[in-house]
Amino acid sequence: MYDTDKIFNELRATLAELFELDPARITLDARLSEDLEIDSIDAIDLMDRLRRQTGRKISIEGFRSVRTVRDLVQAINALVNEG
Amino acid sequence: MALVFDTANITAVQRRPIRDLYFLRVVSTGLSFLLFGVVGTLLGIVGVPLLLAIPGSTAARRSRVRRMIRLAFRALVGFMNQTGAISYRFSGVKLLGKTGQLVIANHPSLIDIVLLIAFVPDAACVVKRAAWRNPSMVLAVHTAGYIGNVPTETMIEQASALLGTGECLIMFPEGTRTVPDQPAYFHRGAASVAIRAARVVTPVFIDVRPAHLSKAVPWYKVPLTRPHYSLSVGSDIDPLPYRDAPPPVASRTLNAYFKSCYASMVRTT
Repeated sequence: MYDTDKIFNELRATLAELFELDPARITLDARLSEDLEIDSIDAIDLMDRLRRQTGRKISIEGFRSVRTVRDLVQAINALVNEG
Repeated sequence: MALVFDTANITAVQRRPIRDLYFLRVVSTGLSFLLFGVVGTLLGIVGVPLLLAIPGSTAARRSRVRRMIRLAFRALVGFMNQTGAISYRFSGVKLLGKTGQLVIANHPSLIDIVLLIAFVPDAACVVKRAAWRNPSMVLAVHTAGYIGNVPTETMIEQASALLGTGECLIMFPEGTRTVPDQPAYFHRGAASVAIRAARVVTPVFIDVRPAHLSKAVPWYKVPLTRPHYSLSVGSDIDPLPYRDAPPPVASRTLNAYFKSCYASMVRTT
């Protein structure tokens, strides 16, 4: 089982790097759009990076309902644990 | 930031000047719309299938349909010009149509796209998704390899793939016509595509006076004086240096640069 803490830590590092964010702002409750200013075009860049990191094919569909960092962690968790 | 105008490549500095008679211009404008509708539909529903009947690869068919669209739009521009509905001057045309080139332009008027397609050889365009729901356009846009503006992730993927194979792509970063009296709002889609896949980005500056077929004015309101379209090609922008930063940062920086190139073009009608 992929540890969700590990996912969160790696995700936080990825988000901080990709969007030049202060890691302190990236909390589980942080909303991607309102708090971190990640818009739909950013989401595509993020999906590409996650695809490269996880080696999994990620479609934007699985991430449509993602609103917060926690949602994203759970979506990634589901992704790496399937199959 | 300097603009480079390649005056050696001025094209179609029209014909002998025609007196601007409002009434005649209303007629020629109306005829132009009519031509666009009727001939456009004929070409879309009959012309494209005929071209498709010619044997060949997908790429060959794509080139043929693009050529048909370009020649049709070129003829329409010629008609509007010769009848005095508009006048235009497009300098730097020969700089467009290069391998892997992303051509961007501001979007003051409905016919910006007509002028660009008329003069840029073998190019694809990002156009409104509605074109695929239009029976007289769907076959043409599909065969020509045009790209729908939504969904965004599909657009970016297809645009990047197209540029990657060395084709030329026309995009309006604004996505829609400029609201007059306001600076253009550039969505990051074009910048994102440029970062991913463009070999070069070439800006085209479109100035039209008086405002014509803009968001502010209904299409049937013919301006009191003949609209003059002035198109010029700016310096090439190399996306490579921008790729050192992470993609979201890179596309923001490049988009900011695009905006600065066009910043001096706020229209005050």
